[in-house]
Amino acid sequence: MQEFFQLLVSGIATGGIFASLALALVLIYNAMGLVNFAQGEMAMFATFLAYSLIGRGMSFWIAFPVTLVLAFAGGIAVQRVVIKPVERAPVLSLVIITLGLATLVNGLAGFVWGYVPRSFPSPFSSDSIDLAGVFVSYRDMGVIAVTGLVLLCLYLLLQHTTVGLTLRAAAHHPEASRLLGVHVSWMLALGWGLASAVGAVSGIMVAPILLLEPNMMQTIIIYAFAAAVLGGIESPLGAVVGGLIVGVTVNLAGAYVAGDLQLAVGLAIIIAVLVLKPNGLFGRAAVRRV
Amino acid sequence: MTALLELENVHAGYGPTSVLHGVSLEVPEGGVVSLLGANGAGKTTTLRAITGGVRWTGDIRFAGRSLRRKATEDIVIQGIAHVPEGRGICTELTVDENLRLGSHLRHDGAEVRKDYDRVFEYFPVLKERRKLSSSTLSGGEQQMLALARALLMRPRLMLLDEPSLGLAPLVVRSIFEIIRNINETSNVAVLLVEQNARIALEMSSAAYVLEVGRVAVEGAASELRDNESVRRSYLGY
Repeated sequence: MQEFFQLLVSGIATGGIFASLALALVLIYNAMGLVNFAQGEMAMFATFLAYSLIGRGMSFWIAFPVTLVLAFAGGIAVQRVVIKPVERAPVLSLVIITLGLATLVNGLAGFVWGYVPRSFPSPFSSDSIDLAGVFVSYRDMGVIAVTGLVLLCLYLLLQHTTVGLTLRAAAHHPEASRLLGVHVSWMLALGWGLASAVGAVSGIMVAPILLLEPNMMQTIIIYAFAAAVLGGIESPLGAVVGGLIVGVTVNLAGAYVAGDLQLAVGLAIIIAVLVLKPNGLFGRAAVRRV
Repeated sequence: MTALLELENVHAGYGPTSVLHGVSLEVPEGGVVSLLGANGAGKTTTLRAITGGVRWTGDIRFAGRSLRRKATEDIVIQGIAHVPEGRGICTELTVDENLRLGSHLRHDGAEVRKDYDRVFEYFPVLKERRKLSSSTLSGGEQQMLALARALLMRPRLMLLDEPSLGLAPLVVRSIFEIIRNINETSNVAVLLVEQNARIALEMSSAAYVLEVGRVAVEGAASELRDNESVRRSYLGY
């Protein structure tokens, strides 16, 4: 039982990482009806930036917010330079473009930093504390605290500020929003910026666990897809809940079933949700007027 | 009275299909003008041209300034509230959030609060349902929400696209009462697109009848109302 609770806590920590990346996917899906396949690679690139900043002697807790700001700006730049010119293209073209973007960012990171895995410093001590017989590592608690805080900030921004309101309106009703004076095109850019920053959080939190290299996020993005689909791809809350469920499930499956099957469990979740409950836990049924 | 809105020989269309073939019309400051005509005559396209939703040539001036090549967002902030076909309610958002979208660009906090009070006086049902999702509103309530949101922009001109569409006759009456009231108390000009010519002419000072993208008849609302041949051939009552 003790082991179960330990796995549960570290599963929640992993889930927070998945949730951040899943939320990034949901933000862009809401804004454009598009899954951004480059989201993981953008997060990886941001993590390399953090790595470089820390390598130059910057402390982790300064490098972290600085990287988020850079990732935010980078997300806006990607939207303006790569996505905006082809905004009206069919979804399939946009999907291919994000796949191309993923390859491009991956290659660029390999070119700049190489493919040798590097250890990324964790800001948290690797000690554990004993909470009523359950050993919880500071690392897990730290990851839970950081991702939880970031998700809370994003929630407050989206639900309780005017910018968040116009962002949501622009995502769902671009035409009506324009008539109310919302600059829809800039809202899309803002959405990309936020997604990029939230995604970067997942990269920076996972790097100390996985070792940093250009392909680091390729399994994480699968789990993030699973989380987003489970939550109902359109729902930010769903992405967070989905992330936690996937994190815990994968962690338990790794320990009790077989470590090699973790990724398979992630994919199985995607398939099971799509077959059994295509709208996910929090998605609304797609209604089409005929 | 000077013209608040002027359209001069406006041609517009969607891609290769042209819909408007030289429309000219005027809305005076504080006036109510109806734009009538059959389905497909170009009424909605005329409104969309004004707020930049469709490409056009010719000239459109608002308060003396040309709206040529202006983005929709920059046009509406000059004081034009466009309630589009289908009402443009953001159904993912609550009633209150929809209303806040109407006032989100204003910085005159005290005046905004006054306008909220006024809007809730007109539409008490919206106050009761502030916290609810706007998708739970009936058609008439959604139309009220759309009007309320437009009012909170504190416009000089409202473009209303078929406010009566899909509503029960009694609801239509009360909505038009309120539109008239808004026009009289706040001096907001209204350009009204309507299928229901009878009720539109009752509250307008002038009217234009569009036929296949051209102005077929124009004049004072009372003249159109009393001219039997116009009524029969264009207005269908």
